[in-house]
Amino acid sequence: MIEILQNLAYGFTICLTPENLLYVTLGGAVGTVIGMLPGLGPATGVAVLLPMTYFMGPTGALITMCGIYYGAMFGGSRASILLNTPGDGAAVAACFDGYPMARNGKAESALAISAIASFIGGLIGAVIFVFAAVYVARFALRFGPGEYFALMIFALVATASLSRGNLLRGLVSTAMGLMVSTIGLDGLTGVDRYTFGFLELMGGLDFLIVIIGFYALVEVYKCANPKTVTRQVQTKFGPIWITKEEWRRCLMPILRQAPIGFLIGVLPGAGGTMASMMAYSNEKQLSKTPEAFGKGEIVGLAAPESANNACSIGALIPMLTLGIPGSGVTAVMMGALLMLGLQPGPTLFQDHPDIVWGLTASMFVGNIICAIINLPLASLLVRVLSVPGRILYPSVLGLAYLGIYAISDSAFDFYPLILFGLLGLVLDFLDIPTSPFILAAIVGNMMETNFRRALKMSGGDMGVFVNSSISIVLYLLTIIILLLPLYRSWRARHTTVPSAV
Amino acid sequence: MLKVAKYLLPALVAGFAFSASAADYPSRPMEFIAPAGAGGGWDTTIRAVAKVLSDTGLVKVPMPVTNKPGGGGGVNLAYMTQKAKSDTIVSVYSPPLLLINLSGTTPLSYKNTTPLARLISDYEAFAVKADSPYKDLNDVIEALKKDPGSVSIGGTSAAGSMDHLAFVQVAKAAGVNDIKKLNYISYQDGSSLAQLLGGHLDILSTGITELLGQLKSGDIRVLCYTAPKPVAGREGIPTCREAGVPVDFLNWRGLFGTEKMPEAAVKYWRDTLGKMVQTKEWADARAQYGWDDSYLDGPEFEKFLEQSNEEYKGMLSELGMLAAQ
Repeated sequence: MIEILQNLAYGFTICLTPENLLYVTLGGAVGTVIGMLPGLGPATGVAVLLPMTYFMGPTGALITMCGIYYGAMFGGSRASILLNTPGDGAAVAACFDGYPMARNGKAESALAISAIASFIGGLIGAVIFVFAAVYVARFALRFGPGEYFALMIFALVATASLSRGNLLRGLVSTAMGLMVSTIGLDGLTGVDRYTFGFLELMGGLDFLIVIIGFYALVEVYKCANPKTVTRQVQTKFGPIWITKEEWRRCLMPILRQAPIGFLIGVLPGAGGTMASMMAYSNEKQLSKTPEAFGKGEIVGLAAPESANNACSIGALIPMLTLGIPGSGVTAVMMGALLMLGLQPGPTLFQDHPDIVWGLTASMFVGNIICAIINLPLASLLVRVLSVPGRILYPSVLGLAYLGIYAISDSAFDFYPLILFGLLGLVLDFLDIPTSPFILAAIVGNMMETNFRRALKMSGGDMGVFVNSSISIVLYLLTIIILLLPLYRSWRARHTTVPSAV
Repeated sequence: MLKVAKYLLPALVAGFAFSASAADYPSRPMEFIAPAGAGGGWDTTIRAVAKVLSDTGLVKVPMPVTNKPGGGGGVNLAYMTQKAKSDTIVSVYSPPLLLINLSGTTPLSYKNTTPLARLISDYEAFAVKADSPYKDLNDVIEALKKDPGSVSIGGTSAAGSMDHLAFVQVAKAAGVNDIKKLNYISYQDGSSLAQLLGGHLDILSTGITELLGQLKSGDIRVLCYTAPKPVAGREGIPTCREAGVPVDFLNWRGLFGTEKMPEAAVKYWRDTLGKMVQTKEWADARAQYGWDDSYLDGPEFEKFLEQSNEEYKGMLSELGMLAAQ
């Protein structure tokens, strides 16, 4: 314990040199901007800036890259809140209540709580990282294909159940998302599915296409109908801060969702989208006023933001402690470490304590700096709401297309984008929620391959899905989530009926 | 003044008109392409090349790298075919260039490119957890001979791609029949090493450089790797030849121009890359990434591709994964 604190103090002496402080600030600022632009994720940001990091030395380079990474997590939800246009998968959940808040004239609170929740989530993540990185990494190894499958089932059911009283609609949405996720080359057999001969579809549809289609495009399409244009141009802005009451309500959700987000981050391949969606659905389940979710409930914004940032710290663990990059960003970072002559893996902590502890300290410093950058930045960004629709919507459309083009440098993706925009409009009209669709499209492929992997390893024995305590716990939680709405409506009937008599 | 203009003007005009054939090639920025996303092997390789070329001053024009993912590299191949006469496109590829054609993903092949040089090779390694009952390659082969489906073999690429083929080639050469029944499980999401460490997989087939961290800490053992001769820095690990199976499998990476790249540009890049591989900067970059030098000049590279293509064809057809040609 004392030793850890000594190490951490040593880390701060490295991280707080003027030079490294400058790097983490620079990284945070660049990352925030990159995170705000749809299509440009932290992976691209880090890769493009890679050559610049060569002259910084390993510690400086790693700190800069992580700064970009933290910054992108902060910035990702800005466009979700203000324009309903999430910059990446992890920012989707910020649309659910963030955008309604902005429409209700509470953009200032939304932007503030998003930065504050991100900040606290990041700090909690950093604390867990300091004390438990190695143990958590070892625990994550117990997730085999069977456990992964159980986790995906849990996440999907939790998200589908978001549409309370409408579980069926949620499941319809999930099923459609799963269908979309089967597009592309099937890794286990090497066979193309639903690609219709298009090479561009072989890698599957990038989920950003689905997200931007469902959110940005639907938003723009909707405003083409003169009857539904209700957008009020906001001209007066308050300070970017929250009330005491809002803070009191958000604190617990922020604190309890961060560790869950962190754990999901540690699992290779799971990622921020799942972390933030699960945080959102957890809070909705726990809430006394679940009907307020989706209409501008501040808790519904705070929880996913916290989980998402804790997740981004958790995602560094497999890369640093095991040498396993679990996501695109960490893969790029690992490449950079190799270029600098470092070998990420179990021995990194012993061989290069300066780098590891400098980086760990930078998680604290980086999160503080990102919060400091983001609050004043938000007071600038919020003015986007004073832009009249005739200028704003075409700009959103332009940004959406630019972002999609940036994914793979090809105009092919515009066709599915438009298609998903139209589909989103239809779903909206039918009152079918789109979030289960999105999560299913993202994790569907992983769920399916893990299902098949598990069966391949067990030789077809279905017992493989329930032979570990992790799986069993996850299935039990799934069942509870499914039964909870039934129980609540049962209790509601039995408590209200007598009082009426 | 006028006099100067009199000489300068034609020179300028000539410069523009013959930009490809003139001695001042390249005069415009190059278009370096990684046919996959940031962070992968292709991306790392071409970025390293661009850096060494500009650091050593061998190439003076900018060489920005674009990522053009899709179709396992097939989307970029289509793009290169569209711009077949370009003198600025240089792209990196590795064995999947041949495999995506053989498996029927794209009708385009290496014949729709101009091979400029083979630069480096990584090798496939077959790893087990430190406490695995398989002590050496022979144990695995024996188990497979009894029951080809009894060992779960993970890999980071799709079925029918490199990690799969490398293992198949070794198993086949060691006398395992029924290679179609091998239990290969693809982990394209990058979680394969975690699955091996967690005890969910018996063997992992992947590039040896992916395994260095775990090797160093002693969490895994590598049964053998597919280099033709021992590589410096891999002491204590047998090559597959040393382990008794005479098979090499090169995960080479090389650079390619478009199919009808102008003669002068092809010559320039063959010469320049030939010079680059002799620099200290390139040797340093290779050492850092753990890449083995396997330089081949364009024409020999093309012969090598032809030969590899036939080998892969044989294996894929035995696995039942060869597309109708």
